[in-house]
Amino acid sequence: MNAPIQWPKAVNEIPKAIFTDAALYEREIETIFHGAQWHALAHRAEIANPGDFKTMLLGRMPVIVANGEDGKIRVFFNSCTHRGNQVEMASCGNRKAFECPYHRWMFRTNGELAICPGSEEFSPGFDKKDYGLRELRTAEFCGLIFATASADTPALESWLGAVAGTLAGALGGDGRLKLLGYQKVRYASNWKAYSDNDGYHAPLLHVGFRLLGWQGGQGSQKPTPNGHLAFESQLKPVVNRDFLKDPSLIDLKATDPESGSLIAQLFPHTVITKHMDVINVRFATPISVDCTEVHYAYFSHADDSEELVRHRIRQSSNLLGPCGMVSMEDASIFNRIHIGSFTPGNAKFQKGVKRTDEVWFDVKQNDESGNLPKWNYYCQLMGFQRSEVA
Amino acid sequence: MSLPAAAMNVERQLLLSEIAEFNAAYAHCIDDDQLEQWPEFFAEDCEYQIIPRENVDLGLPAAIVFCDNRGMLIDRVVALRKANIYPAHYSRHVLGAPVLLDADGRGLHSQTSYVLMLTRMDGETRLFSAGKYVDVMVRENGVLRLKNRSVVFDTHRIDTLLVTPI
Ligand code: FES
Ligand SMILES: [Fe+2]
Repeated sequence: MNAPIQWPKAVNEIPKAIFTDAALYEREIETIFHGAQWHALAHRAEIANPGDFKTMLLGRMPVIVANGEDGKIRVFFNSCTHRGNQVEMASCGNRKAFECPYHRWMFRTNGELAICPGSEEFSPGFDKKDYGLRELRTAEFCGLIFATASADTPALESWLGAVAGTLAGALGGDGRLKLLGYQKVRYASNWKAYSDNDGYHAPLLHVGFRLLGWQGGQGSQKPTPNGHLAFESQLKPVVNRDFLKDPSLIDLKATDPESGSLIAQLFPHTVITKHMDVINVRFATPISVDCTEVHYAYFSHADDSEELVRHRIRQSSNLLGPCGMVSMEDASIFNRIHIGSFTPGNAKFQKGVKRTDEVWFDVKQNDESGNLPKWNYYCQLMGFQRSEVA
Repeated sequence: MSLPAAAMNVERQLLLSEIAEFNAAYAHCIDDDQLEQWPEFFAEDCEYQIIPRENVDLGLPAAIVFCDNRGMLIDRVVALRKANIYPAHYSRHVLGAPVLLDADGRGLHSQTSYVLMLTRMDGETRLFSAGKYVDVMVRENGVLRLKNRSVVFDTHRIDTLLVTPI
């Protein structure tokens, strides 16, 4: 039996045990993933046509994100209202209706139960109207579809708060996107280590930036009290273009260098980024205490020329993500944080820490203290009590 | 894909064994960590991509590696050597027999299955990727080179990261 986790007094410290504790992970699934938070499950561009759908997990609960024949996007539990069978197995596709193969109940794309064989012998008072696929609360922001299993989740706009502007920018301003494809990966890491990337590491960990003489320009980092984090920064011109045989890969063709890098990290663990000409949404799913699956979805904008789309495909396929030349290091770090977290004690944040008795929100671009409001929020949400003594 | 013609002529057999030999050398180049030589398997004007089969099936173009000239292949190797941080590993490619699909003015069209085993520093060997090469080869000064290699991988849930070419 593990000793109970002691949350430290100093706000710049977190217990390493929270990354490895299986019982805590179970509580997180209930409290966070099945609880009063919005979770980004799809972008409209992935299911652009009536009948298009995508399946996902919301915590442990399988869901279907469906574009109805009426053009409305809904999120359903992927569970037949008869005996609970998983209705849809494909990761995405297009259907006229969802049919459960077990007893052939058939649901319309708006969720209504259309057919249930043998219903004349069903229980007294059975009414098809009561047996539509169960729908979750949904909301949309620049085409990004969110769902929540809780009635207590605040309205999406207020939940997003100050991160909304960066998020809109990262989604191309208006969210009129087209899907370019997926990179899917599993990290041997707890979801919290995956989503704890900071403003401090980028120029240090990612040697590619240094070799290219490509240090970031001016920028800002804005945390919100409910665990989101928005980064905006300039992209300065690359000094050592000759380092690459084909430097056209890192050209900016549609992006203003003044806001060349936008990152919206949404609590608990969705990242939306527009970096160079890459438009990327990272849909993450906790699989277990030591495994996190991430689907990197890449997009072009609806107004792009054919040439620009090709440029976006080149950048999307080579720069960011788990196989990206300038950022695959993050993947290594996620796994290594996890292994290191089986040792006793606390992880300690230092860069930009001005005080340790309470959290604050004016952080600089390259501080790691921007993550502290999120940790404070997490600590409260999960009901930890801070130690009285240091 | 159709059945091979019953009477395979000698010229076709020679081509197939040449392609098989080419593929074997390509795989050993990667597995023996001679990555600086790897771009030489390609024509100067070439395309190389590693793309999830799922994307191909959905008609989606984004890949996990996409190079449309030999210089970009070299850039990938330089990044791996000098910039990238990743778990050290051995690669081991096991290739199937090539199937010759067509030979036309653009080159030799063939397809070859592979499995790629990865051994990271814990010593355990894991199946990292299964898929196929979809190739167009051309002859330059008598030597076969890849005009186009599309690595279409079934294992579309990547384990952590991919840094070494397939
Ligand atoms: S469980 Fe779906 S039809 Fe019976
Ligand atoms: Fe990073």
